[in-house]
Amino acid sequence: MKHLLNRLLDRRTALAAALVVGFAGGLAQAQDTRQAVAGDSVIEQIKQRGSLIVGLSTFVPWAMLDKNGELIGYEIDVATKLAEDMGVEVEFVPTAWDGIIPALISGTFDVIISGMSVTPQRNLTVNFSEPYSFSGLRVVVSREHEGAISGLEDMNRADFTIAVRRGATPVTFAQQALPNARLLQFDEDGAAIQEVLNGNADAVIASEPSPSAYAAEYPDKVFIPFDDLFSVTAEAMALRKGDPDALNFFNNWIAVNWRNGFLEERHDYWFRTQGWADQLPQ
Amino acid sequence: MWPGDERPLRFGLVDVVVLAVLAGLLGWIVWLANTTLVYNWNWGIVPSLFVRTDPETGGLAPNFLAEGLFTTLRLTFYAGIGAALIGLLIGLCRVANGLFFRLVGRGYVEVVRNVPPLIFIFIFYFFVSSQIMPMIGIGNYARNLPVDERWWFELLFGDRRRIDAFVAAVICLAMFEGAYVAEIIRSGIQSIPRGQWEAAASLGLSRFDRMRDVILPQAIRATAPPLANQFISLVKDSSIVSLIAVQELTFMASQTVVTTQRTFEIWLTIGALYFLICWPLSLLFARLEKKTGR
Repeated sequence: MKHLLNRLLDRRTALAAALVVGFAGGLAQAQDTRQAVAGDSVIEQIKQRGSLIVGLSTFVPWAMLDKNGELIGYEIDVATKLAEDMGVEVEFVPTAWDGIIPALISGTFDVIISGMSVTPQRNLTVNFSEPYSFSGLRVVVSREHEGAISGLEDMNRADFTIAVRRGATPVTFAQQALPNARLLQFDEDGAAIQEVLNGNADAVIASEPSPSAYAAEYPDKVFIPFDDLFSVTAEAMALRKGDPDALNFFNNWIAVNWRNGFLEERHDYWFRTQGWADQLPQ
Repeated sequence: MWPGDERPLRFGLVDVVVLAVLAGLLGWIVWLANTTLVYNWNWGIVPSLFVRTDPETGGLAPNFLAEGLFTTLRLTFYAGIGAALIGLLIGLCRVANGLFFRLVGRGYVEVVRNVPPLIFIFIFYFFVSSQIMPMIGIGNYARNLPVDERWWFELLFGDRRRIDAFVAAVICLAMFEGAYVAEIIRSGIQSIPRGQWEAAASLGLSRFDRMRDVILPQAIRATAPPLANQFISLVKDSSIVSLIAVQELTFMASQTVVTTQRTFEIWLTIGALYFLICWPLSLLFARLEKKTGR
């Protein structure tokens, strides 16, 4: 009887011991995972490499080539200050817009800072930081329609052709707000506005400030029929999924730079003034 | 000028008419462009896109379009060598005796040839090379290169920080063009009459020696025109790697177009540049052909 009790006790101790060991092991594993997650964060990679690699696509005035082949623009200022605050160098990788998200996912760069507006569809593939910029779409219309256009509803006709940049927010907007109009898609805004100038399309929908710039360059060909800004979008930095540390860092960097006024001041300089125009090739 | 064309060139009435019609056509296009195309031309911008004044030294330095041109030339050069090697290897597999080699050759050619280049590049770059390149470690090597050794590296391969994408692009293009070169070489080898094989065999040469000393030299000569064609098309095809952030001529041009809005000046210039690269190549190959044809 006593023998049996002993054996039972033994078993219990063994079980308890096993539980303790198992629990400790579990704790150790949790700690390992935590360290692994922190160590794998793109933040650690950036610090180790000593440089922040930024993917972007050229777009006026976000990122442009100046006379000397250097990149300038709102985004360039943002990324440069970001790298400065991290204590690392900054490297820009200009990439075709169509390939920019696959390139981020495959690790060609650490972050996309390229005027990318936050959309649920994109968010399924990449993580977005808090927005560092807000912008809206404006409509610029051929002079042929002068006086006939007073609102979006005047453009929602099957014989009205709208030219937009492929894969960008204006496409979604046009499809929703102007389902009856014909949509032509181009690789870049320059080709879209050219289509209007040539008389093959009636209007361009694009992010400001491009529409205002077109209206200023070709005043006798196109005009801005109404002042409304449509589908105001938020632009954010895009990161690979599964990296909470990086997301936290970029979010807080953006929050700090909203509060100290840096983002607003730079945004005003690039979007509201033309002081930088003489730095471009001409 | 071309082999077999020994008749003296004569300038007859037909030529005058043809030239006049061509000139008329050209004039009509220019007239159309001027009347229907609403566009503020500004050709003055173009030189500054190729040459800039270095703000530090005050001297002249290549600007972005020139850099793009150099990248295209480097890309084509390495990819051309790679394509020739892959093509020769796969071409020989296609005519090998062993079933295994024939299957490998056939499989490679059919897969690569029947997939659009754009999709091939996307798949290869984003799925394959992003796994392989870090393993090779060339990116790290280039990044940590000592300052005094950077110049030769950048002369040969361009921006050392973008070497991963560059190497991946070269491999992609070489693999892609290699499939076409392989088919050209295969057809060249198979065009050599059986008698040549038999004659070489009767000399007691091994299969390897027969291929190397008798068949291949003739096959290469027979395939010179299509090979030249393939190489020239490689120059132009190289522009598809702009999708994977390689800063070659077409990509730099599209960036410049976005920045400056000078769509037509820049694309016309770029078109002319590709022509200026490809045309001398055509002449060179025609010359080589004439030489080896004798």
